[in-house]
Amino acid sequence: MSFREKSAWISFVVILVAFGFYFAAVTRHLLRPGAPHHDAAGHIGFFALFALLVIAVVVLEVALHILVAIRSPSDAHAPVDERDRLINLKAARIAFYVLMIGAFLSIGTMHLGATAVFMGNCVFFAIWIAELSRLGSQVVLYRRSA
Amino acid sequence: MSAGTITNTIRRLRFERGEMTQQSLAEKVGVTRQTVNAIEANKYSPSLETAFRIASVFGLPLETVFQYHEAAAPARKK
Repeated sequence: MSFREKSAWISFVVILVAFGFYFAAVTRHLLRPGAPHHDAAGHIGFFALFALLVIAVVVLEVALHILVAIRSPSDAHAPVDERDRLINLKAARIAFYVLMIGAFLSIGTMHLGATAVFMGNCVFFAIWIAELSRLGSQVVLYRRSA
Repeated sequence: MSAGTITNTIRRLRFERGEMTQQSLAEKVGVTRQTVNAIEANKYSPSLETAFRIASVFGLPLETVFQYHEAAAPARKK
């Protein structure tokens, strides 16, 4: 397995787990019975959780990439070649369509009386799913060898 | 128009040249070892430039290293 394939696996798992936790917490909060529409304390709490998770993702990704690079330094130093570029392009194209669908669905929540916080989380959810699609596509394409 | 397939003789050529490793060939061509492996297994068709570079490493013309097989034409409806 090449360094870039391992990198895609690391990012996929870290982002899936970290923001999966975030969205599970947000969904529980927003969908609980009698949830107030303008819960400032709750929103600040989720912003803090989000900021913490971003820091955790960055630290984890850097640490895991360093670990993988130490185990196979020659692979880690190999430049990006034409197959890597093709895989990146194909994966980005898939993610673009996912993001577009997510963005339009998020706009649609406006007509359902969604609050700004709910809509913002919908947009962020679309970005999360698009990123997972990109990384997941990379993993699949590397397995199938593009 | 249906797509044909591209095959190659890289594996045989590597062994005929002192069991050259995939890593060694990859370094000479400027791609990763995994890309050479994918090309050998006919899972990835390289760019024309990379194909020429591979042929150049073996000192052979392109068509000796890579072969294009046209797909069988679909049966016409009567």
